[in-house]
Amino acid sequence: MHTKPNILLIDDDELYLYLMTKTIKQLSNELIISTFTDGEMAVEYIAKCTEEKVELPEVIFLDINMPFLDGWGFLNEFKKLKPKIMNNINIYMVSSSMRDSDIKRASNFEELTGYVVKPVNKVELAEIFKKIYHENW
Amino acid sequence: MWKRVLKMFLGLYLPLLALTLYVFYTQKGKQLNALSEYQKRDAKIKKEYFFEHCNTLLKDTQYWAHLEYPVGFDPMGKDKAFMNRYIEVIKEITDYDQFRFIDLNGQEFYRAVRNNADSVTIGNLQNKENHQYVKQGLELHQDQLYLSQISLNRENGVIEKPNKPVIRAVAPIYDTTKTKIGLVVINFKMKRVLDQLKSKVADTELYLLDEEHRIISSSIHEEDLPYETGKKDNIFPRKLITNVQDITKDSTIFDEEHIWRFQPIVLNGTENTFGSTSKVPAEIIAPSNLYMVLEIPPRLIASYLEPLSDSLKTFSVISIAGLLTLCYVFQKKKTEKDQFYKELESKNVLLTRSRDKLEESNVMVNEMNNSLEIRNKQLSDFNYLISHNLRSPVTSMSVIVEMIQKEKNPEILKQLLPKLDDVAKSITHLTDDINDYVAILDNKEIKIVDLNLEALIEEVKHEFTETLLDNTGFEVRLNLKAWNHISYSRFYLQSIIHNFISNAIKYKKDEDTSYIEFESTIENQQKVLYVRDNGIGLDLDKHGDNIFKLYKRFHRNISGKGMGLFLVKSQLEALNATITIDSKVGVGTTFKLIF
Repeated sequence: MHTKPNILLIDDDELYLYLMTKTIKQLSNELIISTFTDGEMAVEYIAKCTEEKVELPEVIFLDINMPFLDGWGFLNEFKKLKPKIMNNINIYMVSSSMRDSDIKRASNFEELTGYVVKPVNKVELAEIFKKIYHENW
Repeated sequence: MWKRVLKMFLGLYLPLLALTLYVFYTQKGKQLNALSEYQKRDAKIKKEYFFEHCNTLLKDTQYWAHLEYPVGFDPMGKDKAFMNRYIEVIKEITDYDQFRFIDLNGQEFYRAVRNNADSVTIGNLQNKENHQYVKQGLELHQDQLYLSQISLNRENGVIEKPNKPVIRAVAPIYDTTKTKIGLVVINFKMKRVLDQLKSKVADTELYLLDEEHRIISSSIHEEDLPYETGKKDNIFPRKLITNVQDITKDSTIFDEEHIWRFQPIVLNGTENTFGSTSKVPAEIIAPSNLYMVLEIPPRLIASYLEPLSDSLKTFSVISIAGLLTLCYVFQKKKTEKDQFYKELESKNVLLTRSRDKLEESNVMVNEMNNSLEIRNKQLSDFNYLISHNLRSPVTSMSVIVEMIQKEKNPEILKQLLPKLDDVAKSITHLTDDINDYVAILDNKEIKIVDLNLEALIEEVKHEFTETLLDNTGFEVRLNLKAWNHISYSRFYLQSIIHNFISNAIKYKKDEDTSYIEFESTIENQQKVLYVRDNGIGLDLDKHGDNIFKLYKRFHRNISGKGMGLFLVKSQLEALNATITIDSKVGVGTTFKLIF
């Protein structure tokens, strides 16, 4: 926990994690990326960070379908932790699902910044980073 | 309907009729009594009139008897002058038909016979010694008077025409030396008296009878004394007289629509002073007493009762008509009402039937709807599964391919190529799993059989023989009293039970004696199977939505593909069964299966 990650990738698809990391690296070498293969591990990490008063990443890319704790479960847990979180976190729901019900459900979470459909291409990522870092990356 | 009308009418009318009859008979009784009272008065007046007349003629006779006649009285000869004094009197009294003196031998020695109102013929003497009144007269003492029966006058044994009813009063006569010299016999004309008696105030009948019930005079006979001329019906019916309890007294008899008034007229043996207290009373000797009978005939009674019976008849007719109308209207209304109710009922039955049908089809529609919903859900899940689970490797693949195309660095290319293999593998796994799922969704080939649940569970248990035998403290408990047989797919149910037992063993608590219990019950007429374990349980707040979803795993340290409960649910829903879960972390999990 010495270097604060800028981006959190939460997805059980390891290939996706590999490819996402690769794509982000292509965009910027300065961004530090952490990955978790399920929501539960991610929640544990965030809880630990708040306990230790460590700053949290600015961006989280969250998958919906995951074992142990899915994206919705993560959001529920995140809600509980939010009062302890100091900095602003942008959470993007990333899913291969284009189901209306999922999109609608996502819109009910004010913690969410956006909803992205896989595959996430470089252009989209650049847009997101531009919004968050204001050309500072 | 007419039967009911009649029944109701009778029910209403009979009491009314009884009342009417009661009123009629009491009123009739009163009327008859009133009538009888009139009759009594009438009878009394007539009797008194008759008595009075008799008294008059007896008094006359007594007058003649009390005259002192000269010794050797010869009214036709030496005493003509004596007699002439009285001739005018005899002429004046028009009731005198004959006036005679008869000597002690029964030979007339004076005879005056009336020709008309003011002339008499003297003479034409006859011997009357054999006549009853003469014989009886000769036996009379002084102060005795004999009053004969009323009879038709006969001359020389032949009935004088026209019929002339007479009564003879006889008294002994004495000369100045108090020697009995003969009899005075006066024939009184009775026609006037009898006609007077028979004169009708009302339409009543009158009979004057002698002791032998012979009719002396009656209002129904034109001639008096019909028995003397040999006419029929001259005897008054004895039966009536025998109904009189005491013939010496006046009495009234109500008899078969007649009212009879019976009055004896007793003359024989009576004494009479004829209004004078100074005179010695005269004893009257009469051969027969008389009966005066007044009859109120049925026609009179009927006409007397006519207003009463008329009014009652009118009342009856009106009440019958009224009641009939009432009953008819009532019954008609009732029939209509009954008809209406009947129709209503049959309509009701029809409605009930159609409602039942509707309910039935509603249930069917509901069932269909449920199964369609489930089916829809399954299809949607399937869609999701394909779109999500299959899409991610495919998109990954496209990204890799894109990267490979752009990548010049052989080092990195070497890293990327094996990733394609990973994608291919994951797609293969996925298609295998999807195949299993599709087999369940496409349930046309499912064979439904009758299954013995207990036997089936025992069978499945054998697949876990190792676990169950190695004393790890796991047992399978059965409580299948409520039901044990079910129609289901053998393969599915086997698979379902397998998954439950497998999960229960996988997620058992290490420290406890672990078990899984199958309990069958009936709830809301549906077969329900509870599957309980005392395993580590699940946090439903976290995972509630995902319990039965594909590739969902909830326990990091325990191996699993995340297929088990997904398949269980699919296999249950494929045959219209449902599954719900209740679980508590550290306590255990209960599944409820509703078939």
